[in-house]
Amino acid sequence: MISNIERCYQCGQCTSVCPMGEQEQTYRIRRFLQMEKLGLESEESMITPFIFYCTTCYKCQDNCPQGVNLVDAVLAIREKAVHKGKMLEAHKKVGQMLINYGHAVPTNADAMEKRALLGLDERPPTVQASIEGLSEIKTLMRLTGFDNLVAESKVETIPENTTMVQQACFTQQQAAEEKA
Amino acid sequence: MSNLSLFLGCVAPNRYPGIEAATKKTFSKLGIELDDLEGASCCPAPGVFRSFDKTTWLTLASRNIALSEEMDDDLLTICNGCYSTLKEAETELKKDSGLKKEVNEKLFETGHEFRGKHDVRHIIEYLYQDIGVDGIREMVSNPLDLRVAVHYGCHLVQPLKENDSELVTDHITFFDELVEATGARSVEYEDKMMCCGAGGGARAAVQDATLRITEKKLQNMTEAQVDCIVNACPFCHLQFDTGQQDINKNSCTNYEIPVLHYTQLLGLAMGFSSEELGINLNSTDTAVFIQRIKEGFVTA
Ligand code: SF4
Ligand code: SF4
Repeated sequence: MISNIERCYQCGQCTSVCPMGEQEQTYRIRRFLQMEKLGLESEESMITPFIFYCTTCYKCQDNCPQGVNLVDAVLAIREKAVHKGKMLEAHKKVGQMLINYGHAVPTNADAMEKRALLGLDERPPTVQASIEGLSEIKTLMRLTGFDNLVAESKVETIPENTTMVQQACFTQQQAAEEKA
Repeated sequence: MSNLSLFLGCVAPNRYPGIEAATKKTFSKLGIELDDLEGASCCPAPGVFRSFDKTTWLTLASRNIALSEEMDDDLLTICNGCYSTLKEAETELKKDSGLKKEVNEKLFETGHEFRGKHDVRHIIEYLYQDIGVDGIREMVSNPLDLRVAVHYGCHLVQPLKENDSELVTDHITFFDELVEATGARSVEYEDKMMCCGAGGGARAAVQDATLRITEKKLQNMTEAQVDCIVNACPFCHLQFDTGQQDINKNSCTNYEIPVLHYTQLLGLAMGFSSEELGINLNSTDTAVFIQRIKEGFVTA
């Protein structure tokens, strides 16, 4: 994998513009890069599952004075984690969708109904309407070992303290009652 | 037969088929019949699958490109995520013959081959470069009097940037120009180039956090008093459209901004009805918007 994180001089410009960092305190891209650079395998638990939060928006990369390919680095760090058997539950499901249907988001009854309304075939002319196509991509995933990779990964759970504090949703009446 | 095959991806055909219908209808009006890419799969999505296993990602991507090459076509994507995957895979394989050989050894088992003789195009890039802003303007029969929040999306701009496209300057305008060719006005709003929040598998991993990013964009768009959001990516489309419902539920807000893919906006300007373009099939209620279009919310 192409990665040039050795050029990083830890200025933190990347972290300061990261929209995910703004939302999730635990998501600190500069720190992850530093840990990766120093090979701090023991600190790995600090990296997963948080490294999976990146939206790949490239804002950090656009803002880096050293031209570090941050997104490539993030994806490479993730790949390492996945190959060690660490995946998020939601991502494992997405992986299984690809294996089973050839689509990360397969069709459903609602979509078929909408398609018919629009005068389109109920099933799109993709692998969803092609048994042969599906068997081809299953062959390819067997050749690359993707099916085993997904099947054998253990699921990483997101620690509870990082989930969002639900914003209270008050109706006006509730708000009035609160005041009273 | 044209020299373009339409790559549908996952979200457009399976969640927002209006985008697929709008693409076919508007291109047909432009005199271009798009070839179906039978048996195409997930691109596969760049943020998740590329980071799970790069070889799998590259192999499936090259199969999709090979299908298009077998029809002697360039491949046309209507999605930023697909564009990111397919453009990058294409670029890497064209550059690295060793990698190409490796991928082709696997593809051989399925009877396909990546040759690297054709191009991967994003629909916005294609319309801007091959049809042109004037060409679009000529096709407009119902100029739209709308205030639009244009959302480029990260994975449209980044692949163009990496391929040294002249479309990417300090002040990027190509998408705005295409929107304005329909008669609409592209309204400036704060943080216009910011992410919708959904990409990279983050939507699946931490949906609440991604929705807070989306909400910031919605706030900025609302302040700019726009009539609709126009995007170039079914996944951004999904995040803005269903996201508004989730945000309204969680935060007691009442966002109700219609979300359109560019092909749907263009379709309206070409005189297709909202129903023909599937604009009524969004999660966010578009009834008021559609009524205004019907009542001649057009300047013509
Ligand atoms: S902006 Fe670039 S140089 Fe600065 S900390 Fe981030 S990666 Fe390192
Ligand atoms: S690409 Fe990822 S790390 Fe970089 S700014 Fe965007 S969310 Fe943050």
